[in-house]
Amino acid sequence: MKQYECKLISQQEVSKDIWRMRVYTPQIVEQSSAGQFLHIRVRDSIAPLLRRPFGIHRIHRESGELEILYRVVGEGTNIMKTILPGDTVDILGPLGNGFNLNGNFNTAMIVAGGMGIAPCFYLIDSLLELQKKVILFWGVKTSEEIFIDVEILKVKGLEVHIATEDGSMGHAGFITDPLSNYLNTCLQKDIMQGFACGPNPMLDSLQRITKNSAMDWEVSLEAHMACGVGVCMGCGVSHRDGGFRMVCSDGPVFKLTEVDLHE
Amino acid sequence: MSDMKVQIGSLVLKNPVMTASGTFGYGTEYMDFFDVSLLGAIVTKTVTLEPRYGNPLPRIAETPSGMLNSIGLANVGIKRFLSEKLPALSTLDTKVIVNVAGHDIDSYAEVCRLASEHPRTDAIELNISCPNVRQGGLAFGTDAVFTAQVVAAARAVTDKPLIVKLTPNVTDIGDVAMAAVNAGADALSLINTLLGMGIDIHSRRPLIARGLAGLSGPAVKPVALGKVYQVAQKTDVPIIGLGGIMCWEDAIEFFLAGACAVQIGTLNFVDPQGALKVISGIDTYAKEHNISSISELTGAMIAPE
Ligand SMILES: Cc1cc2nc3c(=O)[nH]c(=O)nc-3n(C[C@H](O)[C@H](O)[C@H](O)COP(=O)(O)OP(=O)(O)OC[C@H]3O[C@@H](n4cnc5c(N)ncnc54)[C@H](O)[C@@H]3O)c2cc1C
Ligand SMILES: Cc1cc2nc3c(=O)[nH]c(=O)nc-3n(C[C@H](O)[C@H](O)[C@H](O)COP(=O)(O)O)c2cc1C
Ligand code: FES
Repeated sequence: MKQYECKLISQQEVSKDIWRMRVYTPQIVEQSSAGQFLHIRVRDSIAPLLRRPFGIHRIHRESGELEILYRVVGEGTNIMKTILPGDTVDILGPLGNGFNLNGNFNTAMIVAGGMGIAPCFYLIDSLLELQKKVILFWGVKTSEEIFIDVEILKVKGLEVHIATEDGSMGHAGFITDPLSNYLNTCLQKDIMQGFACGPNPMLDSLQRITKNSAMDWEVSLEAHMACGVGVCMGCGVSHRDGGFRMVCSDGPVFKLTEVDLHE
Repeated sequence: MSDMKVQIGSLVLKNPVMTASGTFGYGTEYMDFFDVSLLGAIVTKTVTLEPRYGNPLPRIAETPSGMLNSIGLANVGIKRFLSEKLPALSTLDTKVIVNVAGHDIDSYAEVCRLASEHPRTDAIELNISCPNVRQGGLAFGTDAVFTAQVVAAARAVTDKPLIVKLTPNVTDIGDVAMAAVNAGADALSLINTLLGMGIDIHSRRPLIARGLAGLSGPAVKPVALGKVYQVAQKTDVPIIGLGGIMCWEDAIEFFLAGACAVQIGTLNFVDPQGALKVISGIDTYAKEHNISSISELTGAMIAPE
């Protein structure tokens, strides 16, 4: 079973227009892995008609709860933020294929851009459980989007690099600049595994800077979706073999080298 | 107890609710969400002779109470369909209607013949109404002469019940419907999507890469209902109604307009258990209104003045 009426536990604006929603759904928590996503019906109505896809931000096994971190951008998310504690939310999940954490690596490099950070927290928690070293490259437009105290991440043992487009924190510019420098000087790529989630231009540039690197990268993609389960064939991404793959059922996680991210 | 059984030519369904082509994959994808054997029938995604990747991206977009799609009949091709997809449905206790399309008369006939030979195929639905392909599709479904030719060619190669799926994108749907019936169709299903478009005013690009696309969902329901009514005025062959059905009340409207069964399309995306809710809602309605057989409702609307 993959459709649940989940009780909303809490709903909080953690930074301007970025909300964190917590729901009680022990079955989804139990079945899920980092990188999988949820397909949410924001209300029982035909407006808006379609569900909205969101990554799983964090899970809490003991309480059977999970969190979604989302940016309010349009009709659906504006309705979503008004769901109150105690209300139920109709959720399909967990859907798609998550990140592969079984590879032969001891250090994980994570590149997150904008709301691409959302599923990365679940990924980080899973990697730390597996005793992996984690290096996080986190790029945002402005420091306001860094919704938690970075020191907390460092205390957990993460190495954190931040880039802001407006220069309000860390490197001024795109996160791919410090990443590129790091990769040029780093010697142990064979024991590293890369993970990335963010807007297509960031992933496109990641494809360019990692072209001749020995490191293996997995990326989580976004696409407009209707069904979320591989039947409508709407959420395609171009594949290097000339065809398409479905982001919802073949992904959302793909090998960086197999997908074509050019417009 | 009311009898939910309906008969479409020689095809008997345990209830009048099926899932529409292109909105239910190959029948297995929704098994994680409910017991698909509870459906009256499954109609599989249109299959063509050769595999197709479909149209360029983006190819879906949301619109007010509806959605646009231009998938372009992406499918695995008849060979893989017969060897992998149909066998996966062998243990299901529901009817399987195989939806097929070609790009010319010969390919329509050939894919229809191959699909019919498979023992799991309970009926054929001929898609002459896809708005998203250059050849075949609408070119056939909007022309009564072509329709007659392609239906006759399909009829010649199959003994299984033959359902012809019609497009609403015509001046008079009655003409095309009669052409299909006279050429040997056992039943008609309608409607396929309505031709439509959306434009992003900031980028000035169409929402769908190919520009024109097919509109579905609750926004099209009144159009669909009107078409079913028009066709029902012209012919006695069974009509399968679809287009924008979101709840059991919508399904009852289609029966009253002249349909003997319905298909659920876009609703599957919105609520995977939607089709089941439609089935139980119809059942409850029939009991409450002391209807002994659901087929009594077909065409039972009080005639307009
Ligand atoms: C697998 C996946 C995981 C995602 N995870 C997150 C997450 O964790 N946090 C987060 O903030 N956002 C996430 N998104 C993006 C999120 O789905 C969109 O921001 C959301 O659908 C916008 O809905 P809206 O009605 O507010 O916006 P509108 O712009 O009004 O939406 C109109 C239509 O476009 C679609 N749409 C708009 N933007 C996107 C987008 N970026 N991706 C896919 N569909 C879109 C909507 O679903 C809707 O059908 C994810 C998308 C995917 C595909
Ligand atoms: C994403 C999508 C894909 C579709 N693919 C097919 C198809 O392959 N063959 C077909 O005959 N109809 C196809 N249709 C049309 C539906 O079967 C149905 O006729 C139409 O969507 C109207 O019903 P609805 O409003 O309930 O969705 C498709 C519709 C959608 C939304
Ligand atoms: S959203 Fe329907 S196939 Fe991916």
